[in-house]
Amino acid sequence: MTDVTVDQVVDHHDDHGGGHASSLGLSNMKLAFWLFLGSECLLFGALISSYLLSKTRFITEIIAGNPNVVSTMPAELIQEFQEKGSVEPMFDIPFTSLSSFVLLMSSLSMVLAHSAIVKGDQRNTRLWLGTTAMLGSIFIGGQIYEFTAFYREGLTFTNNLFGSAFFTLTGFHGIHVTGGIIMLLSLLFLSFQGKLNSSRAETVELVGLYWHFVDVVWVLIFTIVYLIP
Amino acid sequence: MAIIEGEPLALPSGTPDDRPNPLGVFARPHNATGFKDWLTTVDHKKIGIMYGAAAMFFLILGGVSALLIRIQLATPNNTFLSADAYNQVFTMHGTIMVFLVVMPIGAAFANFLMPLQVGARDVAFPRINAFSFWVFLFGGLMLNTSWFLGGGADGGWFNYAPNNGIAYSPSSGIDFWNIGLLIAGIGSLTGAINLITTVLNMRAPGMSFMKMPVFVWMTLVTQFLLLFAIPVLTVAQVLLMLDRQFDSNFFNVEQGADPLLWQHLFWIFGHPEVYLMILPAFGIVSEIIPTFSRKPIFGYPFMVFSGVAIGFMGWGVWAHHMFVSGLGPLSVSAFSVATMFIAVPTGVKILNWLATMWGGKLTLNTAMLFSIGLVTQFTIGGLSGVSHAIAPSDTQQTDTYYIVAHFHYVLFGGALFGFVAGMYFWWPKAFGYKLGEKLGKWNFWGMVIGFNLTFGPMHILGLQGMPRRMQTYDDAMGLNLWNFVASVGSFILGVATLLVLVNAYLSSRKWKAAGRPDVGPDPWDGRTIEWSIQSPAPNHNFDVDPVVTSLDDFWHRKYAEDESGKIRRVATGAQLAQPGNGEGVHLPASSYWPIVLAASFPIIGYGIMFTLWLTIPGGLLLVLGLYGWSLEPADDLDLPHDHDDHADLAGVGASHD
Amino acid sequence: MTKFARPTVWRRRRGPATLVQDMNASLTAARGRRGVPSAAFALVALLTLSACAEDKPLNTFEPRGPQAQMIDNLMTRIWVIMAIVFVLVVGGGIALAIKGRVKAEDFDYEDLPYQRHGNDKLEIGWTIAPAVLLAIICIPTVATIWKLEERNEPQELDVMVIGRQWWWEYRYDVDGDGFFQDANGDGVVDDKDIEWPLELALDNDDLSIANELVIPTGEQIDLVITSGDVIHSFWIPRLNGKRDAVPGRIHTWSLEADEPGKYNGWCTEYCGLSHARMRMSTIALSPADFETWYANQMLQAELPEAPAEGEVASPEWAGRQTFEQVCASCHVVDTPGFEYAENFVAPLTAKAAPNLTHFATRSVMAGAIFSQYSEDPTGRLIDADDDSFDVSNYLGLADEGRFNDAQLRRWISDAPSQKAMAAEDQRGMPAFPQLTDEDLTNLVAYLATLD
Repeated sequence: MTDVTVDQVVDHHDDHGGGHASSLGLSNMKLAFWLFLGSECLLFGALISSYLLSKTRFITEIIAGNPNVVSTMPAELIQEFQEKGSVEPMFDIPFTSLSSFVLLMSSLSMVLAHSAIVKGDQRNTRLWLGTTAMLGSIFIGGQIYEFTAFYREGLTFTNNLFGSAFFTLTGFHGIHVTGGIIMLLSLLFLSFQGKLNSSRAETVELVGLYWHFVDVVWVLIFTIVYLIP
Repeated sequence: MAIIEGEPLALPSGTPDDRPNPLGVFARPHNATGFKDWLTTVDHKKIGIMYGAAAMFFLILGGVSALLIRIQLATPNNTFLSADAYNQVFTMHGTIMVFLVVMPIGAAFANFLMPLQVGARDVAFPRINAFSFWVFLFGGLMLNTSWFLGGGADGGWFNYAPNNGIAYSPSSGIDFWNIGLLIAGIGSLTGAINLITTVLNMRAPGMSFMKMPVFVWMTLVTQFLLLFAIPVLTVAQVLLMLDRQFDSNFFNVEQGADPLLWQHLFWIFGHPEVYLMILPAFGIVSEIIPTFSRKPIFGYPFMVFSGVAIGFMGWGVWAHHMFVSGLGPLSVSAFSVATMFIAVPTGVKILNWLATMWGGKLTLNTAMLFSIGLVTQFTIGGLSGVSHAIAPSDTQQTDTYYIVAHFHYVLFGGALFGFVAGMYFWWPKAFGYKLGEKLGKWNFWGMVIGFNLTFGPMHILGLQGMPRRMQTYDDAMGLNLWNFVASVGSFILGVATLLVLVNAYLSSRKWKAAGRPDVGPDPWDGRTIEWSIQSPAPNHNFDVDPVVTSLDDFWHRKYAEDESGKIRRVATGAQLAQPGNGEGVHLPASSYWPIVLAASFPIIGYGIMFTLWLTIPGGLLLVLGLYGWSLEPADDLDLPHDHDDHADLAGVGASHD
Repeated sequence: MTKFARPTVWRRRRGPATLVQDMNASLTAARGRRGVPSAAFALVALLTLSACAEDKPLNTFEPRGPQAQMIDNLMTRIWVIMAIVFVLVVGGGIALAIKGRVKAEDFDYEDLPYQRHGNDKLEIGWTIAPAVLLAIICIPTVATIWKLEERNEPQELDVMVIGRQWWWEYRYDVDGDGFFQDANGDGVVDDKDIEWPLELALDNDDLSIANELVIPTGEQIDLVITSGDVIHSFWIPRLNGKRDAVPGRIHTWSLEADEPGKYNGWCTEYCGLSHARMRMSTIALSPADFETWYANQMLQAELPEAPAEGEVASPEWAGRQTFEQVCASCHVVDTPGFEYAENFVAPLTAKAAPNLTHFATRSVMAGAIFSQYSEDPTGRLIDADDDSFDVSNYLGLADEGRFNDAQLRRWISDAPSQKAMAAEDQRGMPAFPQLTDEDLTNLVAYLATLD
């Protein structure tokens, strides 16, 4: 028989379920969140597989010179693809590396935000939540810039298999990051209203969990899409 | 840890002052009755019953479409349905039966029963539970509005690319299929998270994993399968939506796309899907057979681990749906072998059920008969499954009526028979009266005869070369006799299945006419703790938290060994049952937000299909729903202080010790 | 192409296979009878036997070639194992239910049955025993999977099978110019050897026919299977299992027939609107007949004689004019001066239509749903009776007296009323209401000359 922990109160405040407290010693909310992330793994797994298959088929057709595929993009780009045997000439690796670095740094600031709220340090909580949201926004800005650059160069969502697969995979990730930014801003808003005290530390922790997950997925996408030819 | 003693609870340091005000329009409805109560309820039992009712509604739709198919195929070169109509009817039949009948009945049992069996007052997230139901219902209804808006889907229930593309299926039927199921999938996913959390985290004190009823185990495995399978289907459907609505190229062969991508994604979802449809029924008969054999389940650990093994192995066999798709002999060999071995855990289950019956004193009431029906008919489906696992044999049998027979033996003779058994068994716990036994016997024998007469001949038809999804066939193919027999059987089956509902209606009328006699908490001499509460189950489920000391806990409280080692009844269920006094128990209040939030999805769905403008109000409703949801207080502030939502923590344990 | 002296061992094995088939069919029927008086069972058994006596042109239990025989041999033993398990488990379950039955009111709560919780040895036993049994079954299964993938080496006669909505096209690589060659030199014709999209692979000098695949007996014919639109599946049950025709992919498969005859099949992957009316057959001819057929198919069609000045045009000539104006936008008749490759464009969804050069040497039309020679409302055209197989149809000896012109006229004037089509999406054949009765008569007269 132990005391009711903060976790359970937050949990019950949010969902006020039946009578029991946790059998596993983990709050319902946290358990549910982990399950959700497990499900997300399969979502991104399926998206990444679809991307890999589509890109491989695209390159095969490009090398074989299938006129339906070759005619979808500017000739000089196609030629580069054919020479390299990959879509690598499309990418600006240094630029994307930089925005990836920004996103990774935001994980650090998220950790700092969580540790601040556990200590009850409102000022630093706000600082680091804000920083995380800002870094995330910079990443999204970079992605928007990259997308427009690709459109100008002749790669669009509809013109071929590679375009569809690339924009879908990175777009899905971008939507996830955007969702994370909205959550961070909501927390920041609550904090300014004075409603984000240390009893809400688990909420911050869960948002952080999500944020780290999205970061890890990006590391995977960055490696698979950009770095591996 | 759990709160079982009356010790005072220290309130946490964070006082609830920071709770936001409720949104005025949608204050939580209290003591709602009638229609409004059902719309806003967050009670897992009511939600379970609604899942069941919705599934029955869809069962009638799916059943009528099945009968249309059988009328069309009763005679050769029949013109009852045009090719176009026939293609829509069989597609919708399969889709409705899989996604809107078998899956939700499984969800109905999981929702109604699982919290009772683990000794919880509700699921972990009651509002999300209501949301899961509404979003499933709206997705299913949206799918069925296609009948009135340009025709149903016509791609078959697995809807292979590129036939599902806009070039080959320009009507919006497949969009309804795609987006309707995408929406229903959201409900499955949130439901899975909710139910897994409930099983893992809200078990009664003392109920360790190896003391959980088999049904709870099967629910856990099922929901894990859903958790991981649904996102894969979601990806396939999103890609299809992008192709159809936004001109992307994922399944555009002219751009070099590989149509097998759809098949892989669909079956990576689809095979676990098959197991998540049958495992709840396995769980149900694993409760019923011991009860009416008056013996414990034979080999509980084997039952549990074989279920878990099926859950794991179910992920490694998806390509057996694709033996003729041209995967190459290496993959075909590997998946052929893997598929054969999944027969092992399934066989273990069947033999353990038989061993449970062995030496028992069997009460052959309707619930038990349906359970035995499952065991025998599923065996037939399992055996024909082995002949599919043998890939060379599968090249002769796949996509013929032999496979139609196979999956109906598994899903109808297996899953649906198990669900009907469960309805007869737990009906008193849900509604307070038993379903009539006499009509029940008619129901059972009618279904057994009708079922075997319908689907037994399909084995022969398939082996004689009749492919599935055929609008018609020729006289000279020699398929007339068995098609006619199957059509006759299907009408017997249809009438017999309806007897479930007739029985429910007549039994309820009889019960009310007799002045609603109390059926008692434990009408079957049950084994698990849901029989230790009154029937129908009171709103708050348990007056006090049950403390579980063994598997089949309630049975062990009723029976004990005497000095001579003989097992004697020490008390009846009625003597031990909780009185159903819920005073001081705080339950989560009803809420409007689940249904509001769920309603936004079909609006967005219609918007994607017809005009993107409609997604704006849909999106606004979604945002409103999310904010209303998250700002809704745990309970209304104007309630008396003893209804403070934190009090329920104390109330659970303290009020009745 | 003349190694047709395939030993006849296959034939001898048909006895037991048929027996097992009957047994299995009776077993299947027996499932329907639980709780029914035994008279009903006798009736069902009788019906089963009488049904088996009928012609079953698609029956998977009547292998007529080595591949189908291989599958049948594998399954013969397994059907028996399945039957034994079926009897033990289902019979055991019913027996247990009857034996252990106690009326609810007679049940004594003080006298419970022995409370056995399990028996580890027994359970481990029935976990391992089926696993071992299945492991044994795996061995011939995997062996058969690989045997079914064996292809001729070197390639002798390859046929490309192309599924189309809703008929089958067959292309024979006649000039040996490489489309069906083993370009990698690895002994296997696979998708690396064949170009996609199909337009690229189309060849001026190859032979293209529809609906009926014609092969010589006693020789393994390798197929390369693909599709021009959606996924179809090629299945001739009495010769081999099925294989999907997937657009964008090339799959290989083999057929071999022991005896001359007609072996029917049906598209088995759902392919849209008229899936049920996408049938096909394989015609096996003796090697000598096959050579004759082949030589005839390689000829170009002759043009009907143009009328001399002032004369009335012959119906054939008038029909040819109508054909060029109306039909030739989709159909090809390979005549002198005809530029095959330029005219024949088969984009993925549109306008792919059968080559009609030797139309009158086929016995079926319109996706093998109508006989070309007799108007039989029962659709007896897929007759399985080997004795009725008439080889003369295929050898360019068309008997115009038997030509099914009533059906052909109906088909040309309004195909969608005969078979569901999506002609507005350029899938399938449209109706031609503008054709007069005379036009139709002329067209049929012209088509009858194409032998």
